[in-house]
Amino acid sequence: MESILWLILGLPLLTAALIHLGLKRKQPIAALVSTLSAAVGLILTLLLVSKGETLSLGFDWVNIAGFKGIQIGIELDSLARGMLLIVTGVGFLVHLFSLAYMKDDSALARYFCGLSLFMFSMIGIVLASNFIMMFMFWELVGLSSYLLIGHWYQKDTAADAAKKAFLTNRIGDFGFMIGILMLWGIAGTFTFSELASYLVARPDHSVFFLGVAILCIFAGAMGKSAQAPLHVWLPDAMEGPTPVSALIHAATMVAAGVFMMARFFTSLTPDLADLHLIVPEFSSQTIAWIGGITSLLAALMATQQDDIKKILAYSTLSQLGYMVMAVGLLDPEAGMFHLFTHAWFKALLFLGSGAVIFSCHHEQNIWKMGGLKKTMPVTSLTFLLGTLALCGVPFTSGFFSKEHILESAAHRGQWALFGIAALVACLTTFYMLRLFFVAFLGDSRSEKANHAKEVGPLMALPLIALAAMALLSGYEFLGGKISPLYKPFEFHPAAPAFIASISAVLIGAFLAYKLYGNAKEDPLAEKSLFKIFRNKFYIDEAYAKLISYDQDSVAAFVHFFDELIINGLIVGGFTRAADGFGRLFGRLQSGNLQGYAVLFGLGVLLVIYLTVFLS
Amino acid sequence: MASLNEFLFVSGLVFAIGLAGVILRRNIIVIFMCLELMLAAASLTLVAFSRFHLKDGLPDYNGQVFVFFIITVAAAEVAVGLAIIVALYRARQTINVEDLTSMRG
Amino acid sequence: MSILLILIPIAAAIAILCGAKAKPTALGAAALNLIPGLGCVFCWKHESWTFFWEVLSKPSIHLSLGFYDGMSVIMVLLSVIVLFTAVMSGKCPEGREKLWYSSILLIGAGALGAFLSTDLFFFYAFHELALIPTFLMIGILGSGERKEAAWKITIYLALGSIVLLAGLIWLVSASGSETWLFKDLLASSIDPGEQTGIAALLIVGFGVLISLFPFHSWAAPAYAAAPAPVAMLHAGVLKKFGLYGLFRLYPMVSSGMQDWLVWLIVLLLCNILWVGFVTINQKRLDTMLGNSSVMHMGYIFLAFAALIHAGSFEANPLAKPAAVVLMFAHGISIALLFMLTDTIRRKTGTVELAELGGLAKAAPRLAFLFGLAAMASIGLPGLANFSGEVLVFLSGFWGYEGGTLGCLQIATILALWGVVISAVYMLRAYRQTFQGPSVDHTNSEHVKDFGPFCQIPAAILAIALLVVGIYPNSLLNLLKEEPAAPAPTEQASH
Repeated sequence: MESILWLILGLPLLTAALIHLGLKRKQPIAALVSTLSAAVGLILTLLLVSKGETLSLGFDWVNIAGFKGIQIGIELDSLARGMLLIVTGVGFLVHLFSLAYMKDDSALARYFCGLSLFMFSMIGIVLASNFIMMFMFWELVGLSSYLLIGHWYQKDTAADAAKKAFLTNRIGDFGFMIGILMLWGIAGTFTFSELASYLVARPDHSVFFLGVAILCIFAGAMGKSAQAPLHVWLPDAMEGPTPVSALIHAATMVAAGVFMMARFFTSLTPDLADLHLIVPEFSSQTIAWIGGITSLLAALMATQQDDIKKILAYSTLSQLGYMVMAVGLLDPEAGMFHLFTHAWFKALLFLGSGAVIFSCHHEQNIWKMGGLKKTMPVTSLTFLLGTLALCGVPFTSGFFSKEHILESAAHRGQWALFGIAALVACLTTFYMLRLFFVAFLGDSRSEKANHAKEVGPLMALPLIALAAMALLSGYEFLGGKISPLYKPFEFHPAAPAFIASISAVLIGAFLAYKLYGNAKEDPLAEKSLFKIFRNKFYIDEAYAKLISYDQDSVAAFVHFFDELIINGLIVGGFTRAADGFGRLFGRLQSGNLQGYAVLFGLGVLLVIYLTVFLS
Repeated sequence: MASLNEFLFVSGLVFAIGLAGVILRRNIIVIFMCLELMLAAASLTLVAFSRFHLKDGLPDYNGQVFVFFIITVAAAEVAVGLAIIVALYRARQTINVEDLTSMRG
Repeated sequence: MSILLILIPIAAAIAILCGAKAKPTALGAAALNLIPGLGCVFCWKHESWTFFWEVLSKPSIHLSLGFYDGMSVIMVLLSVIVLFTAVMSGKCPEGREKLWYSSILLIGAGALGAFLSTDLFFFYAFHELALIPTFLMIGILGSGERKEAAWKITIYLALGSIVLLAGLIWLVSASGSETWLFKDLLASSIDPGEQTGIAALLIVGFGVLISLFPFHSWAAPAYAAAPAPVAMLHAGVLKKFGLYGLFRLYPMVSSGMQDWLVWLIVLLLCNILWVGFVTINQKRLDTMLGNSSVMHMGYIFLAFAALIHAGSFEANPLAKPAAVVLMFAHGISIALLFMLTDTIRRKTGTVELAELGGLAKAAPRLAFLFGLAAMASIGLPGLANFSGEVLVFLSGFWGYEGGTLGCLQIATILALWGVVISAVYMLRAYRQTFQGPSVDHTNSEHVKDFGPFCQIPAAILAIALLVVGIYPNSLLNLLKEEPAAPAPTEQASH
């Protein structure tokens, strides 16, 4: 059992090292090796899931006398098993898809090396047994993301996007590390399994500072899961290849923040119903509101985007907001369940968009597509299924998970958040159907769309598999067994959650049909309110100004001050003083014989005075 | 017979004249001559002290013997100094002390 | 045996000056040094590693060499690795092989002597040995504003050394110890009133050598102008001398240092944040790296501040291991960065960020190694610097029990912002140099990638970073040991 776990963790790393050191020239072999290792990972994970065991193990990473030490360890429970299945499952399907999508790329080996490195890092996060190990793999996931977003680094936009992603994540990591350190002080341990017992053993720990520590740790989740205001990197990350967007920026890496918070919260107390006793109100409220605001902001921005990947990216942001909101409502089960269903249908949507982009010869503007339902039937059908799941149409998996979250909000009396969640559901239906109507229905709007053909089996198979999961993963017979965390769903037709979600879907669908059912161009594009949405609330521009005024001008000022005052005045001052003294005493060497004679005489007088009259 | 003070006064005067000459004159040969004047004044002082400080009724001959040493050393020094001056004149064509300042710095 | 580590480079330097073929001799000497250097990791407790010879009886100074404790072993390991790679890197100008290689060897000998010495006087003296070859190399064989840089670094460091020497002499006389040996000094104690003054002199003296703010202006111009091997050795190894000295002498002046704790924290935060901002504003790769090396010294000082705050090595068991691991990691990573920057300079003719771009297309191996070194420098886990940095931050929060954050904790939080700052400047530089479209002097006709021979030193350094990053216990196990056995019986009478 242990060796299976270490194998799942270590195999992708070995693959990445092998590709980098030996297979850089033999690109197709590299691609196959990587896909094979992903397949092995999936098979082993299925084995683990079927066994359903729980265990922890580890070895010493840092061992210092007088200090408990840091371990590299594995904590396997249902949360880890479910997440592992998501990672290896979506990962393998993405590897398969990439074999076809990236086959003409000149740096195929580097791509697959990056994918394997990512699999290693993500599995590390999932299996981590303590915060420091999770932080380590957290940063490694950031590195893999940097490498993959910047895969086509010769393009300025891709290189900039990769840098932006890494730096935004770093800011989150800054908060994360502070939180870990504070938690270490308060609780006395990093290890998840020990947190609850250590906290119980310190009954007089400061609740306020625990809340601050929780918020700081959440900052890491904000960076990784792209919550506002650290959300700006995710849309730009679409510069990477589409399979990368599917795996990393939809299903797994961005979900790591939610996973981490779920792991954290489930470790704080053995019974989740007691969570509100440990986590202070201000922390959980902040988390929930940040989730809600991100969700709303992203949904508004998505309504006016024209790039198919950008629409999906904002929708991911919005759904992540839902998950974070659930965590903030101290219902990690709802959050993780939504993460689970979201992973499948979002990966499906991204891979579907990849298929569309591939067929339309790298066209990404939805207004240049159209009529794809006739030319790409399999893709259209699976894309439709994914869209329905995302909108939360009844009987799809998304419906069940969204219901859970709405239930949570209603159950805890958080009606403002409930309202936001319902509004976002409406907006989600609106912009997703806008995408579907414009890109898939109607007549083709450009030459490229005319020539689109259905994709081959390597690309179609993952789509079909994911569509099946998108439909079925919400039900208890499937999701209940393998979802990371699960609460059974109780269906009440009269519950406010159900009413709200059904009405949201219906209103959104109606508006979308009205505006975009037969549109040739976007009717809302010129309205000033929608221009704000289209321009992403000008947040990117604001950040650019902020960075240039706060960081770069401060840096320039500090540099100037350093050069002028410290280097110029002080160090230079010493130099000039030494120089001046030298010149002053140099004047004594006048070369004038008689001057020397006078000094000589004065010196003699001085000596006589000192020896005769003073001693 | 003049007393000690008068001898000292004379020798002091001669020393002062020599010192003034060394400091103020520009011709190097004149400076040299003034240097000799100072030596002579010092010798006079020594002899005066020797004559007026009696040891068991006789002059203290130490002073007079020292004067012989001074005269010898002065002679050697003049020889070397004049040789240097001649070499200096050959190199610089001048014996004006104000023009000989290349050791400045 | 330890005398060999010092004698081999000195003998090789003399041989080169007397006419032996420079490059093979230097390479052979450095490789020869590498064997005992790496081997000592396994058997440094053994008697054969100590050397003891009385030089002067009043004051009692001995040429006493050996490994005082695990910290010395790790520093010696760092020195031999960097010396070996430094000899292999950089391009010696035509006809100047003698000066080039003999200087590198002498600098290496000085560093090794300082870390191997268990006598305070020779500890100081060996470091001074390394100053003059540095001056010659920067002044004669450097690039850019080499003459000003050479004068600045030499005089600045000499002034710092004078202050340091005053502090050391005061230390020895106040301690009442009979000899200058570490074991005798550390066994004696100093009156707390005097400790404050001594601690001030030591902080200023060692601080100049470590480029503590505000004594840091010498570092960036010197590293920018220096030839690659000198930059590698100085930034990688010689800078650590000051920190090594502070940690070594700390037990003698612990209460004196306590009086200066707040000042030290302010200065180290300036190192991280102030110099961090200066680094962001740099427009050239070499000055950026020089300033970044100044910035990273702040983290090691944070570990030292944590030690001072706690009061003794036992009270904060993380501080010294954190500092030692970070010293090793930083030395290797900055050496690798300077080596690769010099390679960029030679291949493209410039290190101005505005003139570079898209280099990764033409030189992918160079891009990979530089990326590895850059990621190490910003503290990516899996590489050595992270292991050191995480231990430093943990040592800053040692003893925090929840509740209001103390002065040291706030300092650690502010210092943590440094990881964002270092990511900003490193990634900007990497983006500007290697990514994006190629420009004139970085396209494939102009630039050829690394050859296999040049890759060897870079690979060695990269492997060192990976080993310590993946398994820090490899270094930490060395620190667990007690100080080595005392020197054998003296050979001459007092």
